[in-house]
Amino acid sequence: MPLRPSRRHLFRLAAASTLAGSTLAAASPAFAADPASDLISATAQQVIDIIKTQTGAARQSAIAQVLATRFDLPYMAQVALGTHWAKATPEQQARFVKATESAEAKAYSERFGQYGGQTLQITKTTSRPNGVTVVDSRLNQTSGQPIKLEWEVRQVPAGLRITDVKVEGVSMVMTRRSDFNSYIQQNGGKVQALIDELEARAGR
Amino acid sequence: MIASVFKVAARVRRSVVLTALAGGLLGGCAVNDTGAAEVWDPIETPNRFVFSINRALDVMLLRPVTVMYRDWVPEPAQKGVRNLLDNLGEPVTAVNEVFQGDPSRAGVTLARFIVNSTLGLAGLFDVAATFGLERTKTDAGQTIGIWAGKGVEPENGGFYLVLPLAGPSNARDATGLMMDYAVDPFQILPIAFNWNWFYYSTPRYAVNVIDYRSRTMFALDDLEKNSVDYYAALRSAYTQNRAELIRAKREKTDTKAELERRDNLALVR
Repeated sequence: MPLRPSRRHLFRLAAASTLAGSTLAAASPAFAADPASDLISATAQQVIDIIKTQTGAARQSAIAQVLATRFDLPYMAQVALGTHWAKATPEQQARFVKATESAEAKAYSERFGQYGGQTLQITKTTSRPNGVTVVDSRLNQTSGQPIKLEWEVRQVPAGLRITDVKVEGVSMVMTRRSDFNSYIQQNGGKVQALIDELEARAGR
Repeated sequence: MIASVFKVAARVRRSVVLTALAGGLLGGCAVNDTGAAEVWDPIETPNRFVFSINRALDVMLLRPVTVMYRDWVPEPAQKGVRNLLDNLGEPVTAVNEVFQGDPSRAGVTLARFIVNSTLGLAGLFDVAATFGLERTKTDAGQTIGIWAGKGVEPENGGFYLVLPLAGPSNARDATGLMMDYAVDPFQILPIAFNWNWFYYSTPRYAVNVIDYRSRTMFALDDLEKNSVDYYAALRSAYTQNRAELIRAKREKTDTKAELERRDNLALVR
């Protein structure tokens, strides 16, 4: 019967590293040299520090800062809008990017509000021919199954940026894209309706 | 007694024929689609209708009950319930693992079932995990997805379908659901022994629904809050998640086949 000692061993390692106090970013030395996985572990560490030290509006603005420096939000917004991006005016595009940025900051600071000692463990880094690097990682929870997280990292002029996060195979950008596309179709194919809705939500 | 066994056999046979038919139908319409675009949803209007009824039921009944269950029932009790339900599902997983071409994995699942049903007090405790027998979960929707052929992307599960009470599904996964029902010994036994379905199956179903809802609470709340069209967002997320599960399995079997092919070549040389 094939037992899987390696995986169990991995969990024990993860638990041990948590106990040792090196809470997050327990990246094994083999991947430490990779800039893409460094970006992910550094981002995770930064987020944990923010959650531990700040609350409320301060936390939200700090998270927004992390998103702005580590993620390529304009690119993500453009992909999420899909074919409607080209049809929008430059003014609409700018408003749309701004609205999604504040929506993401709000969503992420709410998500992290429920943080309870999870650790991120980077498992694999793969470079694709199209210049995208995919960083596989596992979010180890204090109880229950670990959550599979995949990060898409791209090189832009300003440096390496995260362009998508997949949670258990569900891409944030693709889900947004379906969501936005459907909303636009429901509202007579007008991008303006979506921008108005997003701005109204940001104000709430 | 014997008559009832025949009755079961007939029932199972009928449903197998039906599912095979349905499988053929969906296989026929699932060619040449890369699955990269939007989810195929030809019956969106009825789907949205069922979705809104499900959601109303969820808001009024299921979610509040689940919140009470999550907050008031002690953690160990919740874990026990989950283990119990997981254990009842092991035979179906084992059958599917055989059909997915992974008999050794099926063996582990069956061993888990035997250990947990006895030492684990009818499945209340997951003793097998401490022996190193780790749990895997699969279903017939994934089995169909694996065998659907190279041209069919796992994102393509036939038309999208919102099932009453059960929620998001598609032609492939709904077919899988029927197939799993047909091979589940805990569905067949009550019929065979003429147990009262109401007293036996309803509690299992109800507890399963609450347990499943409590597990998906965080993700679904997040998705609902951060989407402008919850229906479309859930449709996309469900399809991607199911595709990921199937793709992981497909790649594993493909690698295995590739290694076997290389081994055979090495033998020839």
